[in-house]
Amino acid sequence: MDTIKFLLDGFTVALQWHNLLFALVGVIIGTAVGVLPGIGPMSGVALLIPVTATLTSGMPTDAAAASSIILLAGVYYGAMYGGSTTSILLNTPGESSSVVTALDGYQMAQQGRAGAALSIAAIGSFIAGIVSLIGLVLLAEPLSNIALEFGPAEYFSLMLLGLAAVSGLAGKSVTKALIMTVFGLMLGTIGIDAVSGIARFTYDLPVLYGGLEFLTIAVGLFALGEVFKTILENDTDAEPIAKIKRILPTKQDLKDSAKPITRGSLLGFFIGVLPGAGATLASFFSYITEKKFSKNPDSFGKGNIAGVAGPESANNAASGGAMIPLLTLGIPGSGTTAILMGALIMYNVQPGPLLFDDHPEIAWGLIASMFIGNLVLLILNMPLVKVFAKIIQTPKKYLLPIIIAISFFGVYAVQYTTFDLYLLLACGLFGYLLSKNDYPVAPLVLALVLGPMIENNMRRALTISNGDWSIFVTKPLSLVFLIIAIAWVLIPVILKFMGRKVIVNEEE
Amino acid sequence: MIKSFDKISGIIFLLISILFISESLKISGSAYGSVVGPKIYPLILGIVLGILSLRLLYEAFKQASDKKETMKLDYKKFAIIFISAIVYVLLLEIIGYVISTFIFLVVAFQVMEKGRVIQTLIISAIFSYGVYAMYVNLLGGALPRFSLF
Repeated sequence: MDTIKFLLDGFTVALQWHNLLFALVGVIIGTAVGVLPGIGPMSGVALLIPVTATLTSGMPTDAAAASSIILLAGVYYGAMYGGSTTSILLNTPGESSSVVTALDGYQMAQQGRAGAALSIAAIGSFIAGIVSLIGLVLLAEPLSNIALEFGPAEYFSLMLLGLAAVSGLAGKSVTKALIMTVFGLMLGTIGIDAVSGIARFTYDLPVLYGGLEFLTIAVGLFALGEVFKTILENDTDAEPIAKIKRILPTKQDLKDSAKPITRGSLLGFFIGVLPGAGATLASFFSYITEKKFSKNPDSFGKGNIAGVAGPESANNAASGGAMIPLLTLGIPGSGTTAILMGALIMYNVQPGPLLFDDHPEIAWGLIASMFIGNLVLLILNMPLVKVFAKIIQTPKKYLLPIIIAISFFGVYAVQYTTFDLYLLLACGLFGYLLSKNDYPVAPLVLALVLGPMIENNMRRALTISNGDWSIFVTKPLSLVFLIIAIAWVLIPVILKFMGRKVIVNEEE
Repeated sequence: MIKSFDKISGIIFLLISILFISESLKISGSAYGSVVGPKIYPLILGIVLGILSLRLLYEAFKQASDKKETMKLDYKKFAIIFISAIVYVLLLEIIGYVISTFIFLVVAFQVMEKGRVIQTLIISAIFSYGVYAMYVNLLGGALPRFSLF
């Protein structure tokens, strides 16, 4: 079994002491990020890229890439978990994927069962993490083998599908989501064209030759946008926090949540694999499913532990599932995975089917480290629940300016120009204005990362076909991807016309 | 608020698309050895954005402007922090990382909430010097040094 051998190799990478440390640090920072109001998984990961870049600067490229992606992935799933803490204790979800958790979690906290809710969330997240990792291990090889057969035309259509999926589900208006996507693609064309070497839209400004740095845009739109929003809306009052008494769940709690965790993990994983349908959708679906399966659906919303266990498992499983398209196809399915992909590209590592052949230690090291990270998350979070609850109380007076200072430091340390800092501030302003008016910013970042790849594949495909555009519809797989892409955008619109309610994926 | 924003942004996006189309037409047409030059892709994007922004304008004008409750926004606080962030960038390479960060944090903390001056000074000093020491001395990175000394 090659897969098992590769996995074992992966564990030797992940168990190197510095990588263990990176996974640990990533998970802790991630949980803190998830708990802190104002920074979600996306801005957390984006903010830490420059820090990891410096931490790993002394290492050989491949090892550096493996270590930093291990840390960043730790932040990602740590943050997914941390988001649930605020939902349960404060009734204010840290991320949209924990919105459902607040329904029953906060009620449990009101009844003095905050500890049980938190620990069941941790246990559920852990099991879900393991389930999605097993799925990742099983699917990674076969999927990347299929993807190896893809030509440029198939890639082009698949990436369009990825973009369509994210825009089709993001936010309230499809038009606005599509505008953001196309705008992101346009921003991606700025700079020197990789094929012909011609400078486009640079207007002889040297800072633009390399193109706009995705890191600057992502940190600006997400982290600063959120900070500006909090300052402007003067949302700085501290809310009272529910007390945590007993941490461990009772036997009855465990029994009640065993099935929801299993269902949530499986459901979440499959939803996570689909591009565009991220953790938020997974947790919503899981909640609905649990309510349907439950013997007394009326108890939901009144502190039913299944309403915490299911959705929390689902959103963690989804974040594991979202790694599959990223690692095997090189196509990020969500904002956060787009940022992870940007980080890999910064290390000159191209995610995609070749990743498993060219850089097996990165791909399998990451997979193995996610096993370890999930274990760390469980061991850490049970005893540290009270510590993390303290972090929530960090006064915003200090938190917000420090987030601004950290983003400045991060961007400047990587780019070393003040141009990027001005761009960062501008993006922060636009990020606030856009998301305030229902323009989703995640598709923009995704498009910015995918843009150059889409263009290159389009041009390569057209070169192969001698400029004949029909290559995209005559290749069967490419045609299938295009049809799904169109359906993904159109079906919600049609459903809306018919007056049906459509679940949309908020930013995650 | 959302509707009027949509009208304005629709027009802006339309202008961007026109600009983008006209600018991409100026890019040289063909690349050596390839049928498709560097101008086709931006051109397509420009056209698609144009269509989408027309659609947005149509949607924005079709729906009667609904009255939304206007939230009271704290423009003053935001403006001071935003401007001090710009000043921070301006000064960063002149007076160095530590001093500029320190000043920015002190100003921003006090704008967020007045009082507790000593705590403010301590936190700002620890952050600005701590980041610099960690990054430059420990990790060997580079940040603008104090140039006053």
